Amino acid sequence: MGFRESHFPSGLEVHKRNSPCPTFTIHIEIALWETLSKGKQKVSLSAFAFLFSELVQYNQTQVDNIAELERRLEDAGYAVGARVLELLCHREKGNRRETRLLGILSFIHSTVWKVLFGKVADSLEKGTEHEDEYMNSEKELLVNRFISIPKDMGAFNCGAFVAGIVKGVLDNAGFPAVVTAHFVPVDGQQRPRTTILIKFVEEVLLREARLG
Amino acid sequence: MAPAAPKSGDAIFASVDRVNAELFTLTYGAIVRQLLTDLEEVDEVNKQLDQMGYNIGVRLVDEFLAKSNVSRCVDFRETAEVIAKVGFKMFLGVTASVTNWDTEGTTCSLIMEDNPLVDFVELPDTCQGLHYCNILSGVVRGALEMVSMKTEVTWLRDMLKGDDVFELQVKLLKQIPEEYPYKDDE
Amino acid sequence: MQFFGGSEISPSPPAPAASGNNAHMLYIFNRNGVCLLYREWNRPLKTLSSQQDHKLMFGLLFSLKSLTAKMDPTSVEKGNLGVPQLPGQGCSFHSFRTNTYKLSFMETPSGIKIILVTHPRTSDLRDSLKYIYNLYVEYVVKNPLYSPGTPIRYELFNKAVDQYVRGLG
Repeated sequence: MGFRESHFPSGLEVHKRNSPCPTFTIHIEIALWETLSKGKQKVSLSAFAFLFSELVQYNQTQVDNIAELERRLEDAGYAVGARVLELLCHREKGNRRETRLLGILSFIHSTVWKVLFGKVADSLEKGTEHEDEYMNSEKELLVNRFISIPKDMGAFNCGAFVAGIVKGVLDNAGFPAVVTAHFVPVDGQQRPRTTILIKFVEEVLLREARLG
Repeated sequence: MAPAAPKSGDAIFASVDRVNAELFTLTYGAIVRQLLTDLEEVDEVNKQLDQMGYNIGVRLVDEFLAKSNVSRCVDFRETAEVIAKVGFKMFLGVTASVTNWDTEGTTCSLIMEDNPLVDFVELPDTCQGLHYCNILSGVVRGALEMVSMKTEVTWLRDMLKGDDVFELQVKLLKQIPEEYPYKDDE
Repeated sequence: MQFFGGSEISPSPPAPAASGNNAHMLYIFNRNGVCLLYREWNRPLKTLSSQQDHKLMFGLLFSLKSLTAKMDPTSVEKGNLGVPQLPGQGCSFHSFRTNTYKLSFMETPSGIKIILVTHPRTSDLRDSLKYIYNLYVEYVVKNPLYSPGTPIRYELFNKAVDQYVRGLG
């Protein structure tokens, strides 16, 4: 099979009940991985937009409310996030994983964002009211770029998919958190920005405090 | 005013916004995973992927036409070449080649050596019946149907199953002229 | 104009000549004759229900296409009168003018039909129709919430179309 890595993207194997579960260990050398992973290869944004549309449309047929739709998009994003973490840990960080809170947040804000969206996120802020909350904001999040939400869908936010990606990265890096996407109106702008709100679970903050 | 000349796939791909192929590949992987979880049967997953591709084709054809300046798709041979050279390039950044024409000129194969859908993928034994790239055959079928060509699209070779290339056979069943959609007494 | 669609909309909008309000109505039909969009800016006289109106407009184009192709002096492949051709096949008309209005028409190989009815002295609008087609692609076709073949009800698209059409000379 040449140099292909031995498992599916996005944790596809999770589902396979009867097969010996392929592990997430990657046995190939990093240098080889670099060439394999084709970090520089591109597809058109439209190709992604059409694929994403289908993800949304398919999931709309599987749910009967907006919250459920967002949850399913988050699930799909989670699988992407878990894989992105693996890819990047090997390619960019020489297998080193972040252990500190600010480290992992800046990893998401810059490295993950750059790989997925071609730029660092517009801003990363700490919540002013809650110690455990962080906000990663984007003026025009890729998945919301083509969207114009009809009135009957209210607060639906495709950013749930990206929230899922962030959650996938955080969980698998050992920083479990609740991650949600929100539209935030911006003064003087017709379109709101999207904020990905990260709320870490208590144990993460306790561990961080212990590390000093 | 002469109609603008059709553009090449390279020229269009260079002019459109692009994203890292990994986002695309991993998102597709997440979709396949979701379908395997929801539908369980591999055949059902194949069907759903084909349907999703068809839905995409129905939409994508308009962007293709708008950006490529292609103003007519009447000849099947010509259309197959345009799909392989311009369509594939403009969306996926890779081209396909067209071969294996039958004598009537109604069946041909699109050959792909590079396919951004399958990076990092290897099929486990339980998924041998899965046509992982079935979305792509659906796209071709959907887009062609919108330009009045009813086709049957089948995978003949699949690199995930050990073949050396991806081969997609496209068979023209018939060309459907537009019909007047209203009945007289409506 | 701000395009959240991102990729360049081409051709870039033909510069409107003098700003004025020359447009009467705009229709977009799909290949099945479904009216995806109807906008009107200046239509003092209405005698039909909107459903009849759309049907009549679609019928007018359908027949006219067939007739103009039949009368084409340069082509042998004319088909039979009333038997429709494939979109893009044979000759196709792009506008006609009466003493009170001009109708400009564009049809894509995918059967999308865009019709703009304007003041009779409006110049060639083919590039403008093409531009509207591009707006449709960027704002409607790529919207994950849009189901193909259903009427378009997106504020952003309507606004963009209104703004563009109002600026036409």
